[in-house]
Amino acid sequence: MAALGARWLLRPGRRCFSQTEPTHPSPASGPLYPPVVASITAKSKAAQQRRVERFKQQVHAAATVEEKLRLYGKLQRPKYMVYPQTFALNADRWYRSFTNTVFVPGVPPPVAAGAAPEAGGDPGMGAPAAATTSGAAISPEPAAGALPSLDMGELRSLACDALLQESFYQNKKRPFLYRDQEHTPGPFLTQLVSTLAAFLCGHNPLLAASSLDLKPEVNYYWHHGEEVVAHGHRKGRVDPVRFQIDDKPHLQIRVPKQLPEVVPLDSNLGDVPVINHKPSKLPLFKKQYENKVYIGSKVADPCCYGHTQFHLIPDRLKRERLIKARLQDQIEVVYRSNGIASLFAWTAAQAMYQGFWSEADVTRPFVSQAVVTDGKYFAFFCYQLNTLALTAETIKNNPRKNICWGTESKPLYGVVEDGNVKDFNDEVLLHLVRFLLNRPKEL
Amino acid sequence: YPLFQRGGPQLRIFRPNFFMLAVRPGVPQPEDTVQFRVSMEMTKVDIRNYLERIYNVPVAAVRTRIQYGANNKRNHKNQREKKPDYKVAYVQLGQGQTFQFPNLFPEKEQDTETRAFDDFRSKYMEKEKQKEEGDPRRGGVPDWFGL
Repeated sequence: MAALGARWLLRPGRRCFSQTEPTHPSPASGPLYPPVVASITAKSKAAQQRRVERFKQQVHAAATVEEKLRLYGKLQRPKYMVYPQTFALNADRWYRSFTNTVFVPGVPPPVAAGAAPEAGGDPGMGAPAAATTSGAAISPEPAAGALPSLDMGELRSLACDALLQESFYQNKKRPFLYRDQEHTPGPFLTQLVSTLAAFLCGHNPLLAASSLDLKPEVNYYWHHGEEVVAHGHRKGRVDPVRFQIDDKPHLQIRVPKQLPEVVPLDSNLGDVPVINHKPSKLPLFKKQYENKVYIGSKVADPCCYGHTQFHLIPDRLKRERLIKARLQDQIEVVYRSNGIASLFAWTAAQAMYQGFWSEADVTRPFVSQAVVTDGKYFAFFCYQLNTLALTAETIKNNPRKNICWGTESKPLYGVVEDGNVKDFNDEVLLHLVRFLLNRPKEL
Repeated sequence: YPLFQRGGPQLRIFRPNFFMLAVRPGVPQPEDTVQFRVSMEMTKVDIRNYLERIYNVPVAAVRTRIQYGANNKRNHKNQREKKPDYKVAYVQLGQGQTFQFPNLFPEKEQDTETRAFDDFRSKYMEKEKQKEEGDPRRGGVPDWFGL
């Protein structure tokens, strides 16, 4: 049988197989062949695209937020270190372009008009306050009316006590060189914030459930724009420009519920500056180290949203030094760049903790506040994060911009002499109190 | 320079070799930044004082670096020829001033005679080149053989 079969096969000509005719494939069984896609390992643009898509699918499909963060920051490459407190000139303009932020001078209307009317016990005060929260023109009156049970005198005495204790009553040695800020204004700020927060717990239940961090770390890593690699074995390739902010605010208040949005997600309040130069001209320097995203506590912490940050300006960027170096216009720039960079890092890290990232943009705005001070002068900032999509592809069709409201720096007091604080500025204290009383509408 | 300590003498320098040469930046710089080649002995403080006191230019920030001149080229005796090192200073101007390095060799407007002459010259050169190449219908084959 086998020999017969071999001869039959060797004979040229007609070949008819002894098998039965093939059955027709059932039409509903799907494609016969696997999909024709680009290779994964080839040195081609299509393969590169496929690898990028695979990476994005991996991050989308990650089970936990920690896994997502781990995959997001897995690849380490040289990146620009963005310092919120920097001596660079006009740094706030550059930082706004890196973070796609619009700067609006002044504080947003909901915070200016004061806390929600439920703060005061008076229903009569509640109605006009509720009617006027939309219009910010008559803000001082409903502000005073919405907080009838707050005693300005008591708050003032708290602030003055903290100030006098640190600067007058306590006997301190002379501060070491360039350690002035951590000698007096640092402890004063800590004391002031902790006493005010404890005092206002009754008015703002959110503060009662909050967590006050002392000298926490806030880190964020992101891509923005593209550049061509200049030197090395990767020369000539188009890479995203990587940035990392490593910030250490002096104090931070984290809360379990998020602050309400100030303006709708897609509002357009201004323009983002476009800078066509490389970030290294700022000057900004590159280094390669861990890509960390951190808000001050780990992911499992219930207080995962931010409320207020307090920053202390270091000695090398003090007002007196800038005036001596004839850089008076850079004083406000220092405050602004600190506010924008720190708040962007904090809000973006909070958004990443909720599972959003540049490919999965935020569906609700993240709002946080910050107070930047050098002990005497206070500047208030409020930041609304509307978008995390800052990479070269995702920013093309992204109409959303992040918004930062900020004030100029105002002094809290004039001079401290003989146990008296002269020229105490109530507005600044009221501003600070309003910031601390900010809370979501449900509470 | 010797370190100054309290009570020490005032530093005096006589006939220093301080010079500053404004150069066109190789890579585009921000509008308020001017690039200079300065003497190797000048420090950032020296550069700031030089510009502020001699030329009354407000200076906000100065950054310097030293450019190493290459030592790879060789002369006819196979000795290495060093290109000299030089210091580059990036000066950021104060009070919102900006600076753009001017175009030192602008295109001059040509009158009709020079333009006509240039046209004539380019046409003549084209004709000469075509004569050299030969008949394009031959497809690059030389014409010293064949019909």
